[in-house]
Order: sequence, then structure tokens, then C-alpha cells
Amino acid sequence: MNTMIEVKELQKSFGSLEVLKKVSFSVSPGEAVAVIGPSGSGKSTMLRSLVHLEEITGGSIVIQGKPLVENGKYAGASDIRTITASMGMVFQHFNLFPHLTVRGNLELAPRTLKREKVAAIEAKSRDLLAKVGLADKADVYPSMLSGGQKQRVAIARALMLNPDILLFDEPTSALDPELTGEVLRVIRQLADEQMTMIIVTHEMNFARDVADRIIFMDKGEIAESGTPEQIFGSPRLERTRLFLNQG
Amino acid sequence: MNFDYIIQISGPMLEGARTTVLLFLIVIALSIPLGFVVTLMAKSALKPLAWMAHSYIYVMRGTPLLLQLLFFCFGLPQIPVIGEYLVLDRFVAASLGFILNYGAYFAEIFRGGLLSIDKGQHEAAKVLGLSKWQTLRKVILAQMFRVALPAVANESISLVKDTALLYAVAVPELLNYAKTAVNRDFTVTPFVVAGVIYLLMTLVLTLFFKALERRFKFE
Repeated sequence: MNTMIEVKELQKSFGSLEVLKKVSFSVSPGEAVAVIGPSGSGKSTMLRSLVHLEEITGGSIVIQGKPLVENGKYAGASDIRTITASMGMVFQHFNLFPHLTVRGNLELAPRTLKREKVAAIEAKSRDLLAKVGLADKADVYPSMLSGGQKQRVAIARALMLNPDILLFDEPTSALDPELTGEVLRVIRQLADEQMTMIIVTHEMNFARDVADRIIFMDKGEIAESGTPEQIFGSPRLERTRLFLNQG
Repeated sequence: MNFDYIIQISGPMLEGARTTVLLFLIVIALSIPLGFVVTLMAKSALKPLAWMAHSYIYVMRGTPLLLQLLFFCFGLPQIPVIGEYLVLDRFVAASLGFILNYGAYFAEIFRGGLLSIDKGQHEAAKVLGLSKWQTLRKVILAQMFRVALPAVANESISLVKDTALLYAVAVPELLNYAKTAVNRDFTVTPFVVAGVIYLLMTLVLTLFFKALERRFKFE
């Protein structure tokens, strides 16, 4: 299989407002793609439609060869669940479950879905917390954590289900500047391990550093895409240049 | 106030308090689940169901509890044709009135609890592969009950005091015994004893809910 995600002519409107106008791109296994662009350019909506948090109005989304939507027509409910299960998502506002401990956050979904033995789930949550540097916080509630720690828990939670693809929706935008580093380090480590990722971000240095490819979105379209060297070094379009210079 | 007198009237008054406690337990045990079901109905996508829930809440909250009790105890049997089948034991009829009234308040409390839960919680659960039902059970309700807890505590304490309305439909309970003793013995002491018994009951409830809140603090 040589494409993880294949998006063709994705369209999305809220009423008469067109948020996505025929967006097409694909992502290869192990690739880290950063999506940049001004607010309101449709980056988040595009990302959210991949995991069916937004319903698109037209176009196709194919995940690992299986169509989630084909020409605007969605697969059946159980197919949608199977297809989106191969993707994990990390949100801007973490969306941790406040009534569960850190460990409880990690283990809720695998324990509920019962695809693995409890002992295996517990071992995995220990390992993943260690991986994101929070082994000592397992029994703490999210309200006691800093923003950076919360986001690292959210990443570990997403990894619990062994996703083939991880989606990040502005993972550091809600964080104090001094806390972004610890989160970006974890994402960088995942990129080094060849995790397939799409990262919507405003962190230009990080995007340039970690991404194999940059997609620049503007006004609901992919205006330009290419390697970090191309996009940051010699952008083809004036509006890309303008966007990069103002940040 | 004479100590022997207090001992002497305490027996019958505690007897009356038993009715008070019994009513309280019955109403709490049934009106909380009822309120919960009504909340889910009010949120339902089926419009007639939601409409029924909202009308029910409106009527029960918009009329006096005393009127509702009088209606269930003395009004139902007066209804033409079916009235003769609706002659209930007075305690049963009053319990019914309390359950329906408190159910409406609990429904509103739970609705408020649901409103306080961020949309992101649903989204996170969905992306983690939980079904709607699993999300409701494991993510939403757990948080809803925590948010609703202080209001539920408040409502429960109100209920203890509202049981005194049984007096108006002549079901013998704590206040009824107190009033009888006051009339018979020409002393205010039974009212004070009744007040102390109510305070003890609300104290137990207050401590109980405080413990619950500590237990579910999420910190």
C-alpha cells in the first residue's frame, strides 16, 4: 500500500459559506505533513473531516485503500467506525476526560472496546506514559497538570489504540510559549519513529524542522505545497511569502 | 421546657418522623431516575417526546407543590367517569405528587449538568472509537452527575422540609404530631422538638452529600 491518506476534491460548506473548495492531497506511509495557513483557511475543518468529526459535502477520502467517502457519499456507519479507528487525533484543547485519572484517560477506550487483555492495556499505558515523560503522573487527575503535560497525556491516549495515522489539530496553540517545547519534542520523536502524521500548526520553525512536506492552505484551498526548503526558502506564490513573513 | 415532657412527646414524634423519612426515601429513589429519563427525553431528537418533557417540566415547576398535592389527594377522585378508579391511599397519592414535582426539578438540574459538558468530550470519545452509548455512559453521565451533585444536595434538603406539606392533606407525620401536641398541652415545646428533628435529618443529608462531593472531586 503506498498511500495512507488520499483526499480528492474535498468540499465542505456551512450553508452558503464554502470552507473547503476542492482540496486534494495524499500522504504516504511514514510521512509527516505540516499544514500551515491563516486562521479561517479551512485547515482544521480539513483535518476534522478525515476522522468524520465534520461531514463533507463533496469529494472523496480514502484511508489505507478504504473509502470513507466516495464522491460525497459516505460508507455505512460500521465501516466509518472501522476506517476512522486507524487514526488517532490530538486536539488543541486536549479534551482529556476530567473525571478520570491520567491512567484512566489512557485506558478508557481500550478497556471499553475490549480488543486486548487488561494486563496488556495496563502495561501499554505504563510504557506510553514513560515515553511522554509522565510515568509519575499516572494516578493524578488532569486538573492537576500543566497544559504541556495535558497535551502529552492526550498524545499517549491517542497512541493507546495503535493508530496508523496521527492527526494533530494545533497541538500547541493553547499552550504558554514555554510549554510548547515539551509537546513538540514528543511529536518530533514520533516523526523519527516514522509515524504517519498530519500536523496543523502555527509553529513555523517546528514545521520546517519536522515535516517532510508542507501544505500551505489559504481561503479553503491548498495554495501551495512542497518540501520545507521549497516553501520556506523560495515560495512560489506571493501570498505564501506574505503569510510566512508576517509570522 | 421540662425534660420529662420532651422525653414523653419524643416517642410519638419520632413515630411521625418515620413517615417523613419514608416519604423522603420513596421520593428520592423514584424522582431522581424519573428526572434523568425526562432530561434524556427533553434532549431527544424526536420532537413530540422533547415537547412532552418540556410541557411536563413547565407544569410541575409552574404550579405550587401544595396545589399538586391537593389535586392528587382530593382532585383525582372528582374527575368524571374515571375518578372512582383514582381513589388512592392519601400517603400514596401524596407520594405520587412529590415524585412528579421533584422529578421535574431533577430533570432541570441534570439538563444543566449536561449543558456544562464541553463538545470536545464527545469528539475525543468518538475519535477513540467509543459508540454513542459508551460515550454517554462512561464520559458524559459520570461528569453530569458530578456537576449536578451540589444542586441535587440542595434539592434533597428542600425535600426534607417539603414533606411537612403532608400536614395539609392530613397524612400524620412529624409536623402533624407536633401540632397535635401543641394544641393538647398548651406549650410551644413540641414545635421546638420538631425543628430539632428536621435539623438532625438535614444535617445527616448535608454530611452525606459533602462526603460524596469529596469522593468525586477529580483532583
